[in-house]
Amino acid sequence: MTDPDIVEIPARLGAVAQLADYLKASCAAAEVAPQAAIDLELALVEAANNIILHGYAGRSDGTIRLAVRQGHGVVELDLTDLGIPMEDGQMTMCRTFSLEAESGRGIQIIQSCIDVIDYHRNAGVNCLSLKKFFDPSTPTGNPVPG
Amino acid sequence: MTIITLDGDLAIIKVTAARLDAAAGPAFKADIQAQLNGRAKRVLLDMGDVSFMDSTGLGVLVSLLKMLGKDGALAVAGAQPSVRRLFELTRLDTVFSLTDNVDSARAVLGD
Repeated sequence: MTDPDIVEIPARLGAVAQLADYLKASCAAAEVAPQAAIDLELALVEAANNIILHGYAGRSDGTIRLAVRQGHGVVELDLTDLGIPMEDGQMTMCRTFSLEAESGRGIQIIQSCIDVIDYHRNAGVNCLSLKKFFDPSTPTGNPVPG
Repeated sequence: MTIITLDGDLAIIKVTAARLDAAAGPAFKADIQAQLNGRAKRVLLDMGDVSFMDSTGLGVLVSLLKMLGKDGALAVAGAQPSVRRLFELTRLDTVFSLTDNVDSARAVLGD
């Protein structure tokens, strides 16, 4: 894995696009498969939104730090914040998509887009790690069948 | 962030923002609610300029579909790969009619 690229934003919904832009640039530089880059952006944005809306819950002084690590066929995102932690198991709990709900799909989207999810709290810092694998030899990043 | 054109009971909504996300979603929802206000039963949503949508943006589209009622219809035109991926992940591609372009969306809506 490469040394991490790190960026930090204020915990505001309007700043989340900066994280996404940073990730896209990092993925483009590392020639990450487009489909994998799309999934990473979808997951990153949902994770950041959750931190802002639920972790910081109205606080205006929070920050979110993103570290991006690249390896051969893998991208790892580490998000850290100082907000209210999620309950144990929230990030990995099995959920189903509702076709009628107007909200509440964020964690399911993360679960659908990401291969390995780890969430823990260390010395007051919430740490969410999202790992995505892809096949660098195919345009989509998906393994070739057969 | 929207241009809305009414033609009988058909509303054509052109989303001009590049991102339909948690930052933009609430204003987008308020805008379409205020402008449609029960005047349309069919909606053509032109998303060709939207390069990214998150679950909040998707939730606004679900609320729009509900607003149209059980006799309403909504077709999405020109969804870019990331937007289409979100519809597919959430299985909402089975609820919304996704079409490649505005002409195809018009056909789906019987226009």
